[in-house]
Amino acid sequence: MVTKGFAKHYYLMLLPGFIWLTLFSIVPMFGIVIAFQDFNPGLGMFHSDWVGLENFRYMFTLNDSKTVFVNTLFIAVMKIIANMIVPLVFALMLNELRIAILKRWVQTIVYLPHFLSWVILSGILLDVLSYKGPVNGILGIFGISPTLFFAKAELFPFIIVGSDVWKEFGFNTIIFLAALTGINPSLYEAAAIDGASRWQRLWHVTLPGIITTVILLSVLSLGNVLNAGFDQIFNLYNPLVYSSGDIIDTWVYRTGLLNLQYGLATAMGLLKSVISFVLITTSYFLAAKFANYRIF
Amino acid sequence: MSKSKKSMMLLLAGMLVVLSACSDAGKTKESPKASAVPAATGGTQTAAGSGEAGPFAKSAKPITIKIGKDVDAADKSLPAGDSPESNPYTRYIKENLNIDTKIVWQAATGKDYDQKVNLSIASNDLPDALVVKDTQFRQMVKSGQLADLTEVYNKYASPALKHIIETTQGLALKSVTVDGKMYALPNVTTESDMVHMMWIRKDWLDKLGLQPPKTMDDLEKVAKAFVEQDPDGNGKADTIGITGPQLGGLLNADFINPNNNNYGFDPIFASYHSYPGFWVKGADGKTAYGSLQPETKQALSKLRDLYAKGLIDKEMTIRKDAQELIKNGTSGIYFGLWWAGGYGPLADAIKNNPKANWQAYAAPLDVNGEFTPHMGNPTNQYLVVRKGYEHPEAAIQMENLLLRDESKFDVKVNIGNYPLRIVFAPMDEMDVTYKMIKEVLAGTKKPEELDLPGYKLLKADAENIKKVKLEPYDKLDIQYWNPNADLGAWKRMYSTLVGMAPLQQPYKKMYSVTYSQTKTTESKWATLDKLEKETFLKIIMGAAPLDSFDKFVQDWKKQGGDQILAEIDEIAK
Repeated sequence: MVTKGFAKHYYLMLLPGFIWLTLFSIVPMFGIVIAFQDFNPGLGMFHSDWVGLENFRYMFTLNDSKTVFVNTLFIAVMKIIANMIVPLVFALMLNELRIAILKRWVQTIVYLPHFLSWVILSGILLDVLSYKGPVNGILGIFGISPTLFFAKAELFPFIIVGSDVWKEFGFNTIIFLAALTGINPSLYEAAAIDGASRWQRLWHVTLPGIITTVILLSVLSLGNVLNAGFDQIFNLYNPLVYSSGDIIDTWVYRTGLLNLQYGLATAMGLLKSVISFVLITTSYFLAAKFANYRIF
Repeated sequence: MSKSKKSMMLLLAGMLVVLSACSDAGKTKESPKASAVPAATGGTQTAAGSGEAGPFAKSAKPITIKIGKDVDAADKSLPAGDSPESNPYTRYIKENLNIDTKIVWQAATGKDYDQKVNLSIASNDLPDALVVKDTQFRQMVKSGQLADLTEVYNKYASPALKHIIETTQGLALKSVTVDGKMYALPNVTTESDMVHMMWIRKDWLDKLGLQPPKTMDDLEKVAKAFVEQDPDGNGKADTIGITGPQLGGLLNADFINPNNNNYGFDPIFASYHSYPGFWVKGADGKTAYGSLQPETKQALSKLRDLYAKGLIDKEMTIRKDAQELIKNGTSGIYFGLWWAGGYGPLADAIKNNPKANWQAYAAPLDVNGEFTPHMGNPTNQYLVVRKGYEHPEAAIQMENLLLRDESKFDVKVNIGNYPLRIVFAPMDEMDVTYKMIKEVLAGTKKPEELDLPGYKLLKADAENIKKVKLEPYDKLDIQYWNPNADLGAWKRMYSTLVGMAPLQQPYKKMYSVTYSQTKTTESKWATLDKLEKETFLKIIMGAAPLDSFDKFVQDWKKQGGDQILAEIDEIAK
């Protein structure tokens, strides 16, 4: 049958993705064994000495482990919440804007930072928040003495979350705007005829119209909860803010690559993967339950 | 004196033997003299075809050596069309030794290069030869990734090279020998690469009517004046007293990285007899760790005080590049090596402001008025060869050639483009250079008389000095120099005369009990070191109370420090 032929041809399009996944996600998984070894690059994964759970035992004796775990969780959860609320509110506000051209301009401008890498944005941020930078300049006008923002451990997570939202909210807004266009305009007309105010229309028509999208996105982001953003933090942090800004990924990088403690770093990375796996499974289950979202 | 003369004679004798051996083996009609002088003409077929080993033997068949290379992003000296892989130096190597250098990867000098080396080690995907640091070298030996160079070194290292390594009295060889096998070619730096001192804007001092600071109190007074009294005269309160280490930089050098810690606070620590990061002799005769001593707490307290008063760069360790402050004339004081002047940021600093008169002093002094810097060790770079590479001698020959001909190279092309370059300098190189240059300026020595073997740049220095130094020769302030005549020569000569002058007075050299690592350092040091560096940084920058020092001392001992200390004490016996 013709349809059958078509289907096969579509399956072929899966191939590049499949190869990519195998090469970059499945093959490297075997590296996990390093977590149970006293890894010796000269001998390789197959011949290095096994040490059982020694790396994990040592990892749990370090104060660092708790710190980076808490930091990761805190930063990631904050990011998920902020990256949900800000774009949603912004999308709703844009949706109420009646001047089409202004709407398009605003949309374009706010999503521009999304296309810049953290290497560039971190340079800008470090400058803006530096001791003699514009932010301290403005605070100075109000008589507030200058602060060294990037030396304050208690501020660092908020700078991270804030700047992440600044970079991404414009882009995330697009998803919500797309969902908003899916709402049948006749619902608004009907509500208007029934005498609903603008606020009531938002509350009773718009929000219920996009609530499934919101739930879906929040649930899916759970799987990402331990990815607090290596690029961003790596480019912005310094030893003074390790206590509040060091996350699992940056810690693994420093331990494994800079200090050559391969086993320890892999053990921590593995722990992260296990926890992430649990979270992804949970979020898939939740997504199926609340948003009726299923892959299989 | 007589000792150095004797070794010089031995060296000359050794050279003659080898040279005649070469020419015999080569069965050519060239005189030993001709084969000793290399090269610009090229193609001296000294030992071609004979297969006989020799420091400068040109291989009959082309040898390829694959290397990893650090490149200086700021280096614009390569001629058009040339690259780090193909430039006057690589062609020179090809011409003289028939060695093709191939770059398998390159990374920016510094942190990027280190990481790339680490990656290569971790993935066991090594180029044929590499220049690595101490910790990397140790990791590679442990992983069995390196070729045993003992035999190759004996056979191929040139007498000049061996002589320089011998001037360290076994220190250099000891650092690369594991279980009786030599796993790397160690570099040797001049002793003056270990002494950190104070560089200061003398024109600012003059403007404010101040004397160069001697004690810590003077230093604080001067720094305060630099911050508050607008020394650059632009009407804005935008000057910084003391530059601090940049992001990723070290507050102080330590026994693993004892040399070349520019922009750290080493002299300030030393003025309190505090030697953080080094193994010191305690009052009880046992080895102690400098970072735990009460003197260190005292020094930290002072630094904390200076920082709180705004006399140290507020943004130290967050800044990406501490040099900027010196180049753009914002900062008035920094700590560094003799070469941290001309070779460092000063070439750009005087471009921006030709009157920026940076001078070096052995300061601050301790309570007894003595300068008591910590010393380093002569080896900090390791040239290693991958296990299984067929021509380990190629790497050594390239160093022979570099050492012999460095003075003849046209340094317009940055010497960093020489593949696998590691520094070879007799321990006293800079002191000798300083004295000889003084003699040349005084007219008591002529450049021709200064072709001393081993002191590779001396003759060139003697020829260059009068190009850039203006009369009167004994005045070193910036107005008595002419950098524009030859900036390359100026960099070296300014560093030499200004940077080495403070070290001509006697000073108290404080050596670490050891510079090598023990078994436990391999597994525990990273954690302890992190604890120390973070605690100290937080104390100085006011992010943690001074008394967190006491907790650090306890934690350090508990988390494996006592074990390491015991092992170090064992080595010291």
